[in-house]
Amino acid sequence: MAREFQRGHKAKISDLTAGTDLYVGVQISGPGLTFDISCFGLDADERLSDDRYFVFFNQPKSPEESIQLLGAQAGDTESFRITLDRIPPQIQKLSFTATIDGAGQMSQVAPGYLRIVAGGEEVARYAFNGSEFTTERAVMLGDFYLKDVWRFAAVGQGFDGGLEALLKNFGGEVMEEEAPAAPAPQQSQPGAAPGFAPPAFGAPAAPAPAPVPAPAPQGFAPPPGATPPPPGAPAPVPNVHAAPTIVAPMAPPGVAPVPPPGPAPTPYGQPPQQQPYGQPPGQTAPPPPGYGQPPAPHAPAPPPGYGQPTAPPGYGQQPPLGQVPGQQPGGYGVPQGAPQGGAGVTAALSMFKETPTGQRWTLQNSKLVRVDLGMGGQPVLARQGSMVLYQGKVDFGYKGAGFAGRIVGGATGQEMQLMRCTGQGQVFLAENATHLHPIELQGDAICVSAESVLAFDESLQYEVRRIEGHGIPGGALFTMQFQGTGTIVVKTHGTPVVLPVTPTTFADANAVVAWSAASQVIVSSQVRMRRNAYPGDTGESVNLQFRGAPGNFIVVQPYEV
Amino acid sequence: MYQPLAGYAPAPVTTRMENHGDHMLKVAMQSGQDLFARVGSMIAYEGFVQYEPNPPAVRQIARDWMTGEGAPLMKCTGDGLLYLADYGANVVVINLNGDGISVNATNLLAFDAHLTWGVERVKGLAKFAGQGLWNTKISGQGWVALTSRGKPIVVDCGGGEDETYVDPDALVAWSPNLKVKGKRSFKAQSLIGRGSGEAYQMAFSGQGIVVVQPSEDSTDRLRFRG
Repeated sequence: MAREFQRGHKAKISDLTAGTDLYVGVQISGPGLTFDISCFGLDADERLSDDRYFVFFNQPKSPEESIQLLGAQAGDTESFRITLDRIPPQIQKLSFTATIDGAGQMSQVAPGYLRIVAGGEEVARYAFNGSEFTTERAVMLGDFYLKDVWRFAAVGQGFDGGLEALLKNFGGEVMEEEAPAAPAPQQSQPGAAPGFAPPAFGAPAAPAPAPVPAPAPQGFAPPPGATPPPPGAPAPVPNVHAAPTIVAPMAPPGVAPVPPPGPAPTPYGQPPQQQPYGQPPGQTAPPPPGYGQPPAPHAPAPPPGYGQPTAPPGYGQQPPLGQVPGQQPGGYGVPQGAPQGGAGVTAALSMFKETPTGQRWTLQNSKLVRVDLGMGGQPVLARQGSMVLYQGKVDFGYKGAGFAGRIVGGATGQEMQLMRCTGQGQVFLAENATHLHPIELQGDAICVSAESVLAFDESLQYEVRRIEGHGIPGGALFTMQFQGTGTIVVKTHGTPVVLPVTPTTFADANAVVAWSAASQVIVSSQVRMRRNAYPGDTGESVNLQFRGAPGNFIVVQPYEV
Repeated sequence: MYQPLAGYAPAPVTTRMENHGDHMLKVAMQSGQDLFARVGSMIAYEGFVQYEPNPPAVRQIARDWMTGEGAPLMKCTGDGLLYLADYGANVVVINLNGDGISVNATNLLAFDAHLTWGVERVKGLAKFAGQGLWNTKISGQGWVALTSRGKPIVVDCGGGEDETYVDPDALVAWSPNLKVKGKRSFKAQSLIGRGSGEAYQMAFSGQGIVVVQPSEDSTDRLRFRG
């Protein structure tokens, strides 16, 4: 349940996740562009007073390894591991930046994001795209900053000039050769988990290094062979952090690297030295190098009986469960401590709270939209039965599909059943947990397949467009073209893909959801376009070809209605 | 080859009930702290956990709710880790801490056995759905897990005169101190097949919250499994 951040949004890290061991992934790309993604550790004056805290391709970690560069993985262009409680006190702010290496400007950037993953779950995501920028050559994507507690801010501020200018802005100095600043990346320190060893970069002295290379063999490549490495084998250690979800199992160096899903000897994926669940309160264990190990200060206050090492339940001593005989078994502690953010129903549900905004249409989460009828004052037409909740005085009335709609209904057997919501109040709309996407039209037009419409402002004009072609069931395909000023909410089963219209853009007529009205639709029958037909298709479906000027798009869902 | 999967290993236990991802519940079981869970919701367990379908105490109450609604429960005892899920529904974990909550029977996944609970019929709704709406009221010091088709939303009723109207199919849970009544919003035209599709709602008023799921699919999947 990642929280979506917009530019300027801020939140306490503790509100996002209880953990302090965070994975920060940045995905940024652009046609023909390469990016350097770096993390600046700044002091209270927002200066880079200690350039050991400038973590970039040549300096993949800070001295105490609280900030580590992990390289490209799991769909992220670059990723970092941030251990907040190990960051020294003089570092008050971590600024994540992306700079274009070479020619280019930020307006060419494709949609990207900065995300925070903790405890195996993505907890925050700040998405951006090139339209937010102009000629900048660098962008400050987001900050972690210390203001009583650590907080995250989605910055998204462009910056003219490249990495050097950014570095100067933070008060750093650019050396002629960046080599002296770079510790030998391969020289992994004894305490470092091999899985975090950075990929082998190119020559450190290269003045314009390529962006982070594709996963280098060391540490990031899958282990050869399908069998798990034997216990005690020093290498190769499979990098369990290749996945964005990062949880407990992480073998310390020298200990058997235990890939949890494999047929490993310890079913819990825990190295034998560690207590299976939770640390006993009195234990003064060294900080485990495991990435997902929750830091002790953030464990809830241990209630009596929690993880008592001296009174293990008999169950904990079963050797097949991964306990080494002689070790203190922790058993299954059942802590009853209060959860993060307090106890009680209201606190437990606070993450699902209604999001207040002053807008007419608000996406509450990816599957629920709220419309405030009081704003704008005009009625909303919604699919019948899509209301899940309303507050205020709202009237639901029947709305016929009209003459055009009856044509649709007659031809496809599926008339669009609408209701008109009028009055004052907020209506929450959802249907079958489909993903919802409000599209704001400002004079432009969009075609939506009739069954993908959830709701729209009555101020929009809509008409039915008929796409003829043999092979279409019913003789023709009907879509609704919306035009004017207002919002339409489109529903998709699953996360859709938005494709630009190119000379060869085809879509299944059953899976296409919407397209920009300026693109021309041609029905390509399977007889002629045999290559586009799915093998073994029954011949019922029909491919649509889209043609249009650049800038047009189509939306396709992973589901064939 | 394990790398993408390695991230899905369980995180260390920190509380009695936790989410593993959005759709799975992990319960740390200990002797003496029993758990009631929906029959058929167990997907995995580690350790010694025993399941007792329809324990006597429940059967007594179950007599009241054997009218077609209501969810059969099983009592889970033992030591270990228990994983529960309900066909991919989102799982919401609540530490009651003295509060109470009223849960739609099909949306209840598990709760601590020592909590005070009872099945009650929602007043004034019997004539609507045909079978009536049954819910389980739970209160005390302990943990409750609910399911929701899609990420739920929590709406504060505000406490004023304004009522909050909910589609009964989308309702998950509400604060027990809210006043509930039915509202039928049909007009004459609904009778001739021209309804708005929203024939009846439940109206809540008072101080408290209502939890609603973004789906009107209230099918009890666990119930219809063979």
